Amino acid sequence: MQLQYFLLLAAALFCIGTYGLITSRNAVRVLMSIELMLNAVNLNLMGFSNYLDPVQIKGQVFTVFVLTVAAAEAAVGLAIVLTIYRNRNTVDMEEFNLLKW
Amino acid sequence: MAQILLQTVWFIPCYPLIGAFLSILWFPAITRRTGPRPSGYVNAILTFFAFAHGVIALTAIWNQPAQHQFIPWLNVAGLDLTIPLDISAVTVGATVLITGLNLLAQIYSIGYMEMDWGWARFFSLMGLFEAGMCGLVLSNSLFFSYMILEVLTLGTYLLIGLWFNQSLVVTGARDAFLTKRVGDLFLLMGVVAILPLAGTWNFDELAVWAKTANIDPTVATLLSLTLIAGPMGKCAQFPLHLWLDEAMEGPLPATILRNTVVVETGAWILIKLQPVIALSPVGLKTTIIVGAATAVGASLIAIAQIDIKRTLSYIVSSYMGLVFIAVGTGQTQTALTLIFAYSLAMGLLVMSIGSVVWNSITQDVRALGGLWAKRPISGISFLVGAAGVIGLPPFGCFWALSELAGGLWNTHPSLLGILLFVNGVTAFGLVRVFGLVFGGKPKQMTERSPEVSWPFILPMTVLMGFTLHVPHLLAAWQLLPLATLNYTAAGLLVLSSAIGIGAGAFIYLNEKWEKPVRIGSQAVQDFFAYDFYTAQLYRVTVVFAVGLISQIISWIDRNIVDGFVNLIGLATVFGGQSLKYNVNGQTQFYALTILFGVALLGLLVSWPLLARLSLIVGG
Repeated sequence: MQLQYFLLLAAALFCIGTYGLITSRNAVRVLMSIELMLNAVNLNLMGFSNYLDPVQIKGQVFTVFVLTVAAAEAAVGLAIVLTIYRNRNTVDMEEFNLLKW
Repeated sequence: MAQILLQTVWFIPCYPLIGAFLSILWFPAITRRTGPRPSGYVNAILTFFAFAHGVIALTAIWNQPAQHQFIPWLNVAGLDLTIPLDISAVTVGATVLITGLNLLAQIYSIGYMEMDWGWARFFSLMGLFEAGMCGLVLSNSLFFSYMILEVLTLGTYLLIGLWFNQSLVVTGARDAFLTKRVGDLFLLMGVVAILPLAGTWNFDELAVWAKTANIDPTVATLLSLTLIAGPMGKCAQFPLHLWLDEAMEGPLPATILRNTVVVETGAWILIKLQPVIALSPVGLKTTIIVGAATAVGASLIAIAQIDIKRTLSYIVSSYMGLVFIAVGTGQTQTALTLIFAYSLAMGLLVMSIGSVVWNSITQDVRALGGLWAKRPISGISFLVGAAGVIGLPPFGCFWALSELAGGLWNTHPSLLGILLFVNGVTAFGLVRVFGLVFGGKPKQMTERSPEVSWPFILPMTVLMGFTLHVPHLLAAWQLLPLATLNYTAAGLLVLSSAIGIGAGAFIYLNEKWEKPVRIGSQAVQDFFAYDFYTAQLYRVTVVFAVGLISQIISWIDRNIVDGFVNLIGLATVFGGQSLKYNVNGQTQFYALTILFGVALLGLLVSWPLLARLSLIVGG
């Protein structure tokens, strides 16, 4: 019955990340929340891999890929934040509502 | 020769039609330099051809049985619209009457329209009328008669509206068209309804069918009422009579035609439909009541008019009412005789007053007077016309009226009283006009009033001759009811004429009687002078109701129907305008939306599972 606890923890972490994603005003914190969500996914993958596929451990392979892609994504994300900061001198998400209706 | 002309009698309506089309050449915008007079001459010549053709054909058909010709027109599934022609002494004689009167009216117009540039339009419409009426009398089908009646309604509209820069002409033409159209549309209902019942529109076959027809009394009543409604409008019967009064705004030579023959087109249809109308006692009763009411009312209105043309137009309505009475009591032959004798005399009366109007300018009988010494021919024409219209032996209408009186003697004594009353009042009215126009002392407007030129005098005297010869003609056609004459009824008729003439002469040819005459209260005089306030009556009933309904429907269309469609458009615009605020530029809001979507989709996909889960947990 240990898989469920892993999954529940991952879900909790995902929800915390989600909450941070849509409430944070700081763009860097938004990126951090995304990292939380990705790590929650990684926890899931690891849990499933361990309990359901202990032989082929495809979940762990997935996790490695997710980690690398997340790193690349965070780098690009930070670059975007930096570019925006250069132009607008702020990282407040609420100031970035120019592309509306 | 005569046989050939008889076989081609269908060509009679074509002569005036050709003339009507040729007149177009002399429209002021087409022939710009030489004036429109040739259009009148061409039309008169073609009318003469039609007249001559008719006369020769009449000699050939005289005392011969009726012939029938069929002109194929349209044959579609289940409906055979072949034009049947009825070539009998009566129909060919009617074309002769029409073309003859039209020829005289056209010669008269050549004088009357001297100072007018609108000859082409005028004569082409006169030609159209003549063609339509000849076609009407020759056609032996209710359907084609209806078609021609409608063409004539349009012709009336255009002919009354000849001088359309006068506002009263425009309203008069409008009323004439709409009033006659209403009657015609009712007639159309009857025309359409009679086909499934009788299976034919041929007048002869309809008469045969009506003899043995066994249809529901309600259907018969409704059918005969619709068939009466058409002639009611055409013959200017109550309550569809105002148009004839307003039609007096049109040119006078057209009035000759209208008062004599056009109004009789309706009576012609009525006479031909008499067997069908007789299917329903209610229909016959309605015919009689309408005719009697019009005859009495219009003859009383006529004596209260001050416009010389209108004093005659109400007599027209009144005499058409007598024709209605004759048809209602089944005396169709008498009705035809009455129409024949009446139209010649009425044509003469209109010509006479037209010649007075032409160079006395005014139409107000109060401003006319003392013309007898200066205008003998016009005066004698008026007298002959008046004698020909009222029941005064030995002139024309006496024979028809006394025949009618004899027919009413036993069966409808009250109608006989009405006939005598109408005859007396008409005699009074005509003597009144004569006394005011020709009697008395010259007034300012008639101080210098020369007799008119030959184009007036010629048709007037010729028609006077015909009017005087009506009894001879009737005798030659063995239509004089000498053998069957009810001498008591005829005597009463003569007595009523004598009383009318005597009273008229006593009041209006008497210098000592104060003019303008005051009889009774002013309100009563106004009531008759304003035609029972019919214009106001129309305005507060039909015109008001139709106007109100039109406005309501227009409002519903503009607001509710249009509004509904516009509302859909507006709602869409509003939706777009308001929903665009979902795109609020906040990236995190988009993320939230995506999450909601995913969550919703997840719920939907896993719903069966979740439902079972709750069951398991609950259980």
